[in-house]
Amino acid sequence: MKFALVGVGGAGCRLVDRIMQVEQNSDRSFSGGNVLAYDTDKSIFETLDAVPLDRHVLVGDTHEALGSTGADGDIDQAAAVAQEDRDELHREFDKLDLHEMDAVFVAAGFGGGTGGGVGPVIVEALTAVSELPIYVLGVLPTTAEDATITVNAARSLQSFVTHGDNTLLFDNESWYDEERSLAEQYEELNELLAHRLLAVFAAGERQSADIAENRLDTSDVMRIMETGGVSTLGYAEIAVHNPTTLFQRLRALFYNGEEETTDAIRITQLVKAAANSELTLPCDRTSTERALVVLSGPPHLCSRKGFEKARQWLEQETETVVVLAGDEPRPTADDLRVAVLFSNVTTVPRIEELKESALTAIRDQS
Amino acid sequence: MKLATIGIGNAGTKILDRMLEFEYNTDRNLCRHALAINTARTDLAKPDFVPEDRRVLIGDTHQKAKGHGVGGDVEIGADVAKTDIEEIRRAFDDVEIHDVDAILVSAGLGGGTGSGAGPVVIDELQKMYDEPVYGLGVLPGKYEGGRPALNAARSLQSFVTNVDNFIAFDNDAWRMRDQTIEEGYEDMNRELATRIVTLLAAGEQDNTEVAENAMDSSDIMRTLDTGGVSSIGYASSKVDEEAGLIGKFRGDGQDFDDGATDAAKIKGLVRRAVNSRLTIPCEVSSADRALIVLSGPPETFARKGLESARQWLEQEADTVEVLAGDDPRDNAAELSAVVLLSNVTETPRIKELQSQAVDAQEKIKAQDAVREQEIEDLITDEDNELDPVI
Ligand SMILES: Nc1nc2c(ncn2[C@@H]2O[C@H](COP(=O)(O)OP(=O)(O)OP(=O)(O)O)[C@@H](O)[C@H]2O)c(=O)[nH]1
Ligand SMILES: Nc1nc2c(ncn2[C@@H]2O[C@H](COP(=O)(O)OP(=O)(O)O)[C@@H](O)[C@H]2O)c(=O)[nH]1
Ligand SMILES: [Mg+2]
Repeated sequence: MKFALVGVGGAGCRLVDRIMQVEQNSDRSFSGGNVLAYDTDKSIFETLDAVPLDRHVLVGDTHEALGSTGADGDIDQAAAVAQEDRDELHREFDKLDLHEMDAVFVAAGFGGGTGGGVGPVIVEALTAVSELPIYVLGVLPTTAEDATITVNAARSLQSFVTHGDNTLLFDNESWYDEERSLAEQYEELNELLAHRLLAVFAAGERQSADIAENRLDTSDVMRIMETGGVSTLGYAEIAVHNPTTLFQRLRALFYNGEEETTDAIRITQLVKAAANSELTLPCDRTSTERALVVLSGPPHLCSRKGFEKARQWLEQETETVVVLAGDEPRPTADDLRVAVLFSNVTTVPRIEELKESALTAIRDQS
Repeated sequence: MKLATIGIGNAGTKILDRMLEFEYNTDRNLCRHALAINTARTDLAKPDFVPEDRRVLIGDTHQKAKGHGVGGDVEIGADVAKTDIEEIRRAFDDVEIHDVDAILVSAGLGGGTGSGAGPVVIDELQKMYDEPVYGLGVLPGKYEGGRPALNAARSLQSFVTNVDNFIAFDNDAWRMRDQTIEEGYEDMNRELATRIVTLLAAGEQDNTEVAENAMDSSDIMRTLDTGGVSSIGYASSKVDEEAGLIGKFRGDGQDFDDGATDAAKIKGLVRRAVNSRLTIPCEVSSADRALIVLSGPPETFARKGLESARQWLEQEADTVEVLAGDDPRDNAAELSAVVLLSNVTETPRIKELQSQAVDAQEKIKAQDAVREQEIEDLITDEDNELDPVI
């Protein structure tokens, strides 16, 4: 799938930057440089490596209300400024070649003033100008962060989910290491999310690609996302022995006697591992409305029986009848990867907890 | 018989491609016209035998398809075909319909393009031509899950009511073991192509040197005339110079018509075909009409054998409408028997598919009904103390 990337606020801009870097280091082309990075705080732009200068958009610099460091967590102020400067924000969309795209991802940290305040305005604006699905890639804060951030996240979640076509979430609380500061883990967390995201949404965009037998077309992915609501990703990979030269293959023949039977089992187990892995947003998997599973690796190791069994298992596990499965052949790869997308999950303890803490914070203030 | 053939969607196109491959490899000339129609640009790049200029991409301007498939959505598949019907019609401009006996449309029923666009195209063909339009449809395997089953159960109705006969292929029955995804459906598709082409190519060389017992296109069409769902059985045996049918006859120079053993062998071959894995498993006795084609080197044919096979099948299929004929192929390496069981009404897999579809439909409806509310509940608090940002 081809998608434009729009980052809003610190988290959003860093995520877009990271995703672009992964794109540049791969043989895939999905955004093709169709990116924008919005922030109220111009210091963020210096930290971006991949997003080009002409795609940096400073929001609200003419507004007294915002100090030199931007919104600084004030979500309502940020939203108000964005609403006022709507036309200017709009104008930047012209830099995106939306006609060549299948969708847009708007990335934002929901707890930030900018991400949570400007983000929904941008999502709404994009929905108004484009027929494309506008997906949100959102980050939920940790429980250790300030009350304001918690309240911001609980409130902006409502706006993002209402205005976006689907909201894919990553929960910092579930993933960060409490022993270290959150900020120093941003890079690794973003890297991890970028890989999961691309495993699903950029499968099939490999330049040198052999055509997959069970290719996931863009329409397939869009159909799974069509539910709206909140979504989450699971992932697993294993290293495999993939002799690519003739000599290696000949040698491999001598000790691969049991390959046939174990290939199927390995694939089934890997899909189960991905589905049961720590999700980007933990949830009750049976509350999923639709699911998608992508298997990527050397074609000769991708057992059809194993994959079919796994898909069937996932259908039972998620208690849904819409579970699509596709593969991505990577002939010379030395690993097998499985990514699972759970779309419209509705039982999410972490969101309940977030709302509770936000309510407590609001009540404490008044 | 001579056909105009159309593959719709991914499965439909791949099967058409294997049919063309089979006729190329066996010097047959069944498919006088071949056309592939799809909504996914990448899939249209796959065929080896369908000429480039006979591949039509539809729905590339459709907002939801845009040349990358319809995501298994039957409604979009149908919608796209309706919108682009002019383009589809134009693709038929150079089809000399008088040169063909019938039109065959192949499609997989579990997806969105074959199952949705298929019936629309068939409907149009029926309006355009008087020639019969046959369907060759693949039913999804049970393991594919609820959604494909629902697509197929719905599409099956449209296919069967709109075609003159629907030849079914059941992926469940043909599921192969121990294969990679890449090898995928390749073997299955070859098996299907062998059956359908061997059957329908009989009588393609109208009024040549052929034997008087030769199968005629009109016999095949008559058998298919029943409408409904049909199944094909197949069996073959190698013709080699030293042993087997032909070797023996060449050896003693007898007229093969008198060779009792050979008649028995032919009858055995037909029996094997009927008892083989059918394209869709069914109760043979539920067939309305049946037809036997014996294809191979003419010196291996045994008239008596075929006649007694025919009589045997009359009893098995519990119908007096059983036709049998030869399809002489001088250089064939095999002698094969194909049996068409037309309008079979007892097909357990279709029943099963329908109940799987009903379950799926209920689940999907139930999910649809609560979706909005569940999302609302997830993002808001009970007393609405949390306000959205915008
Ligand atoms: N995973 C991840 N989370 C981040 C990152 N940066 C920030 N966050 C989270 O997102 C929340 C919002 O922070 P920012 O994105 O810096 O805030 P902002 O959108 O720039 O808003 P203001 O700075 O308040 O104007 C934080 O509380 C963190 O929980 C990041 O790079 N990766
Ligand atoms: N026998 C067979 N069945 C297939 C093949 N490819 C797909 N199918 C079946 O056809 C159905 C439709 O798939 P596909 O043709 O890809 O969808 P479409 O392109 O949207 O029509 C699937 O659910 C499978 O049951 C194939 O090559 N051979
Ligand atoms: Mg910031």
